[in-house]
Amino acid sequence: MRIRSDSHQPDAPARESGFAHPRVGTRIPLLALRASVLCAAIYFPAGAMAAETVLRDTIDREVQAGWEKEKLAPPAHSTDAVFLRRVYLDLVGMVPSYEEVNAFFNDNGPKKRELLIDKLLADPRFFSNQATAWDLVLLGRNPQGILPQQRTAFRKWLATQFEKNEPYDRIVHKLLTAEEENSQLYYAQFRGSADDTTTSVMRVFLGTQLQCAKCHDHPFDIWTQRDYYGMTGFFVRTLVVEVAGANNDKKFVVGEKSTGDVTFTGSLSGTKAGEAPKKTPNAKAEPVKPKFLGGAELDEPELPQDFQEPKLKDKEVPPKPLFSRREKAVEWITAKDNPYLAKAAVNRIWAQFMGRGFVHPVDDFNSSHEPSLPELLKTLEQAFVAHNYDVKWLIREIVNSEAYQAADVGPSEDAMPKLYERARVRPLSVEELLASLHVVTGLGVDSALKSMPSKDMLQYLGQPTDGQGTFQGSLSEHLFLHNGDTFRGLCRPNKDNLPDRLLKSTAGWEAKVDQMFLSVLSRIPTSEERDRFVSYLNGEPKDPKVAAQRMEEAMWVLVSGSEFRFNR
Amino acid sequence: MDTGLQPGTCNVQQHLSRRSLLKGTVLTAGGMAVANWGALTHSQTIAAEAKRTGKRCIMLYMEGGASQSDTFDMKLGRPTAGPFRSIKTNVNGIEVCEYLPKIAKHADKLAIIRSMKTKSVDHGIGGYHMHTCYPSNEKFPHAEIGAMIAKYCDNPESDLPSFIKMGVLACSAGSGYLGPQYEPFSVATDGTLPSFANPNVPQDVQDRRGELLKFMEEQHAKEHRARPFASHREAELRTIRLMRARKAFDVADEWNKARERYGNTQFGRGCFTAVKLVEAGVPFVEIGQDGWDSHNDNFPVHKANMSVLDPAWASMLHDLQDRGLLQDTLVVWTSEFGRTPAINGQGGRDHFGRAWTVVLAGGGIKGGQTYGASNQDGFEVEDKPVDEGAYFATIYKTMGVDHRAVHYLGARPIWATPEGSKPIPELIG
Repeated sequence: MRIRSDSHQPDAPARESGFAHPRVGTRIPLLALRASVLCAAIYFPAGAMAAETVLRDTIDREVQAGWEKEKLAPPAHSTDAVFLRRVYLDLVGMVPSYEEVNAFFNDNGPKKRELLIDKLLADPRFFSNQATAWDLVLLGRNPQGILPQQRTAFRKWLATQFEKNEPYDRIVHKLLTAEEENSQLYYAQFRGSADDTTTSVMRVFLGTQLQCAKCHDHPFDIWTQRDYYGMTGFFVRTLVVEVAGANNDKKFVVGEKSTGDVTFTGSLSGTKAGEAPKKTPNAKAEPVKPKFLGGAELDEPELPQDFQEPKLKDKEVPPKPLFSRREKAVEWITAKDNPYLAKAAVNRIWAQFMGRGFVHPVDDFNSSHEPSLPELLKTLEQAFVAHNYDVKWLIREIVNSEAYQAADVGPSEDAMPKLYERARVRPLSVEELLASLHVVTGLGVDSALKSMPSKDMLQYLGQPTDGQGTFQGSLSEHLFLHNGDTFRGLCRPNKDNLPDRLLKSTAGWEAKVDQMFLSVLSRIPTSEERDRFVSYLNGEPKDPKVAAQRMEEAMWVLVSGSEFRFNR
Repeated sequence: MDTGLQPGTCNVQQHLSRRSLLKGTVLTAGGMAVANWGALTHSQTIAAEAKRTGKRCIMLYMEGGASQSDTFDMKLGRPTAGPFRSIKTNVNGIEVCEYLPKIAKHADKLAIIRSMKTKSVDHGIGGYHMHTCYPSNEKFPHAEIGAMIAKYCDNPESDLPSFIKMGVLACSAGSGYLGPQYEPFSVATDGTLPSFANPNVPQDVQDRRGELLKFMEEQHAKEHRARPFASHREAELRTIRLMRARKAFDVADEWNKARERYGNTQFGRGCFTAVKLVEAGVPFVEIGQDGWDSHNDNFPVHKANMSVLDPAWASMLHDLQDRGLLQDTLVVWTSEFGRTPAINGQGGRDHFGRAWTVVLAGGGIKGGQTYGASNQDGFEVEDKPVDEGAYFATIYKTMGVDHRAVHYLGARPIWATPEGSKPIPELIG
């Protein structure tokens, strides 16, 4: 029998710490095996008995069951240093500062990880980091026809939603109704294309790849062209108008007409992938009725006989439609019983922290694609809805789990191990890299928050993965690291930055090297590393210019290596 | 040549096989993860594997759109003819423009496709379509032909980049879904390196900090086996190798002797550098010649451009043959589209995709032929239309690349060429 905290007994441990805890009788052989692997693991004693602690235990139980099923050795618990860097990058989008590292290392409290997580979730950087992450999900790296200042305003709007901890279904509702100031950019990128809008809405919010069914019935799924055109019908009347805003700025307004249909020529079923569409010559294009995915056709009032769509001038926003199809789609998408929304959301949020979704890629739920841990996915989905789509709560549960806090070492070579038997390895985003560079060179968090990646940096470091999230090192990235001025410039001793302070410090070289490592890599150097860096920095001759040059080089080495490049 | 890649090959597998090669290096070099740091030689494993391919491609891209009617598909005596005369070539029955006298002597190497029929007839979309084989309005990160060839024909032994662009601006799709490993490495039209490829610290500093970085990477690699770390280290190695091998781009001394033949132009020097680069093992080089968009004064513009093109292209074919490289090096002459047969009020010709010409040579192409035909005034294709798919499929076939190789972007499959694209057997020798 395992002791489960969801029994709500006051004296039961809040956490099932089955990773290393030898209390559970029936699992002794496995745990004995684990004990030998986990000598460095830290045991967390019982935490607070809030009901919220239940989900993290379920996560661990299910993840552990996955390992047992596949006979995978469970990972060790992450070290404090690895956990600290990981959780800072994941929650606030930058590595911890020297002071933050020291504060955590000097804290000997039993709940220090949990307390740190709470602190970071309340940090304003969490809101902006969430906004940056979702901005990329919603718009991609290079959306067409969108100005940087419009995007900044959109990110701010997103950050406000996360700051208010707006429920996820409400955020989606606001994005898709697009009535709030600065919320319109999601639609604006589609420039009124119903195809692009439908494809993206289905993919991003409902985790469904419907676009294949545009030209033929979906080859790997149940969706047909009827489904595709049925959903497109909800967005076909939507249009985006760019109007003059305050201060000569342009802003987007999302409107909808009262008329307009998706039309289709030929038979709406039975075209298989690879076949030419079945079209009858001279056939009349027939309007297709809007239809909810996997559900009923839209019940729609008839237009008045004499209705005439008002003629719009250039840049004129249409009046409210007599009947809004888009509103009906949004109602359906954000309804508590929508079969796709919550599932897609928890899968995406899980992947944001765990590397790989239960369904991978995160936006490809389909009938021939079995999730890796189906029970856990279902539990998360139900719990998320039961908790009123509380994103922060879900994140708190995930990052408090032992699964999230697994070690960064193990036999797997996968960047994102399928069953989470080692922490995922992901490249820092260009925003995280730049902010972290500011933090580690001692310029401070404010400077990090104000930093904006240059055009070069976006070009060389902005898209480090192939289409499936696999990191690929590139020549250009490394030429930029070597010969561009961004990295080198920040490493150069200058105006009280870290390299400058280290040069001026009267501390011994060993202490200085320790401070460098703690600042840049959030850890103490090994003795071998310490010796190597001391001799590198403390070389002959004792010329201040030489010393400054060496300091710059040593800093450059620390920020150019694999250890800094990735969140692991 | 068969690359051994079957339809349905996915990039993950390719990465795995590439990785296993690298692992081979690591093991034979003594078990250290980056033991081969900065070395210019590689293990037998890689050398053996590299023999699988060996195909190269040089693409001469006429930015703006070259006129078929004034180059390779002249309509002498017809209302659409310009003032230029035609000349005989070294192949009976094939004539080309009088301003291509040197290339005329290589007609036995050329397959002139006079029946290109393409859909994207403006610069942005045409440049995209003729580089990726797909229309840009699919809003999909398609991969350029250079990235595809880099992926399948790359020689892992080479210190040089696998996809080099010289001054081409017509398309910026880059490696798209193939990922940053196959991004183009862009240099100037004359083949000289961008400043950021040159070390900004002296060699002794470069070496010294490189040693320290190597030490740190070795420490890290002991426990961290995940592929992204290896990919990062590999790219660092390639970068250092490139910086050391960058002399391959420095052709200044040889150029002094070659420039009379190639024409003393940036484009000529680019073509000369390209020959040196494919000789050094680079699988794909694209060289842009700009200024072909002759809506006004088509004839002076074309005459001037051909005077630059002709000696460079002809000398390139000569040198490739001379060095025994031509049979494995495909040379493509292309544009985003052709130009209208009709001459407009400004003495210009406009964008035209309905019936235009591209030229292939070397690399297993059957030379000395024209393929397809436009009608008598050049307004339509009369025989054997060639669309983007067939054109790309033919190139891929000669390069030993499966023209239906499939990759995935997220869940969506994408093929090297669209459904139904087939190589043209008559063009392949």
